[in-house]
Order: sequence, then structure tokens, then C-alpha cells
Amino acid sequence: MVAPRFRSRTFRRIKVKTPGNRNTIHYRLRKPAKAQCGKCGRPLQGVARARPIQLRRFSRSQKRPERPFGGVLCSSCTRDELRARAK
Amino acid sequence: MIEIGRVCLKIAGRDGGKKAVVVDILDNNYVVIAGETRKRKCNVNHLEFLNKTVKIKKGASDAELEKALKSEGIILRKTKPKKAGPRPLRQHKARPMVKPETVARKKKTKEAKPETGPETIAKPETKTEPGADTKTLNQKEKAKTSKPAAKAAKKAVNS
Repeated sequence: MVAPRFRSRTFRRIKVKTPGNRNTIHYRLRKPAKAQCGKCGRPLQGVARARPIQLRRFSRSQKRPERPFGGVLCSSCTRDELRARAK
Repeated sequence: MIEIGRVCLKIAGRDGGKKAVVVDILDNNYVVIAGETRKRKCNVNHLEFLNKTVKIKKGASDAELEKALKSEGIILRKTKPKKAGPRPLRQHKARPMVKPETVARKKKTKEAKPETGPETIAKPETKTEPGADTKTLNQKEKAKTSKPAAKAAKKAVNS
């Protein structure tokens, strides 16, 4: 019987073999979904998928591409946006 | 559209959104730009050409460029050539070597036991490092040599 708090699908079940040679199940939280472009909805590159605690340990440059609108818009949408702003 | 002196906007890369001016044309696809970005080669596809032009000749110096760009409101980015300094040498820390000597001494006395008596318990020359305590070293030596000396004495008595 799975404990009620672990029945949610936000937890994934992992089989673990203990040092005492017993097979148990551990419940771990899932990684967040891949970041999407704010305009076109395509998955973004260069954005790490990690839980908030791990994200906090990353440096700023490890979390988004070094580009205007990096981590928010995809490269093609960025170019369109910059072109529109130039005019 | 592509001509020397044409003002353009870089739309790709980490210097996206920055204004620059075409300084030289290399190819059908490549162009040298300077302005808010560093003076560099750039693909034409990564540039958006604006309607403005600036009066520059082909081999314009930095000073001339700066003047011409000021009229458009573009501040020229200046880069100084880096001077290669002396290569830093790796410096190893001086550590007090106490442990390996005590181990070596133990081994020596163990080997010497079956052969002869107290003759082999000559103290090896210990180099005292500036960082190590001489008092503790001497104490350790005494401690190490007292036991095997006692054992050797016993053996001599027994034999």
C-alpha cells in the first residue's frame, strides 16, 4: 500500500537495494518540465531542468543562454523581436 | 544595401541588439563590423541593415570611426591588446614530513630483531623541517626506540 502522500504523480518510484539486502521503494520528486519559448511555444535550449534547490546552486550563466531574451524566447523569435524594435 | 559605412544592427549572438557600422566587405556572406560590438567578422544573415549610412573610407582608423559614429549616437567599443604576462609558476607547499620517517624506523627495527641485539637500534638521522616541532619528534623517537631496545635486551638475556 502506497502512503497517501506519495500517491500523486509528482512523485516517481525508484527501486532501491538497501545495505541489508532488502528491496525497497523510494519516492522522489520529478524534475520540472522543459522551458518553452514565450512566443512560439517551442522547447528552449540552454535552460537547465532542475529542482529549485539545485537551480540555486547554478551560476547565472548556467541557467540561460548568454543572449538578449535568453531563457525567455527562442533564437528565431529573438531575431524577429530585435528586427521589429529596430524599425 | 551592403556597403562600407552602412549602419546595421546585430540580431544574433550575445551582442544582439547592438548597433554597428560596416567597415569592410570580405565576401558575399561576410562583413567586418565595428561599433558597440567589437571589431569583428560577421555573417550578413546575423545583421539587420538600417536605412542610415555613415561617411567612412575603407581603411579608416579608430579615431575617424569614433568621430563618424558619434553623429549616429553609436559609442565605439575600444579593445586594448592584451599583454602576455609572465607565466605563473606552481609553488609547492613545504610540508613537515613526520609520518613516513616513523614508518621507516618501525620497519628497520622489525627486520633487525632476529639477527642481532641492541647494535641495530642506531637512531637514523632525522632532518627536522622548520615547521615541525623538534620536541615531539624527539619524544616519538624515544618512544619508538625504547620498545625494541627492551625487547632486544630481553632476547639477549634469554639467549
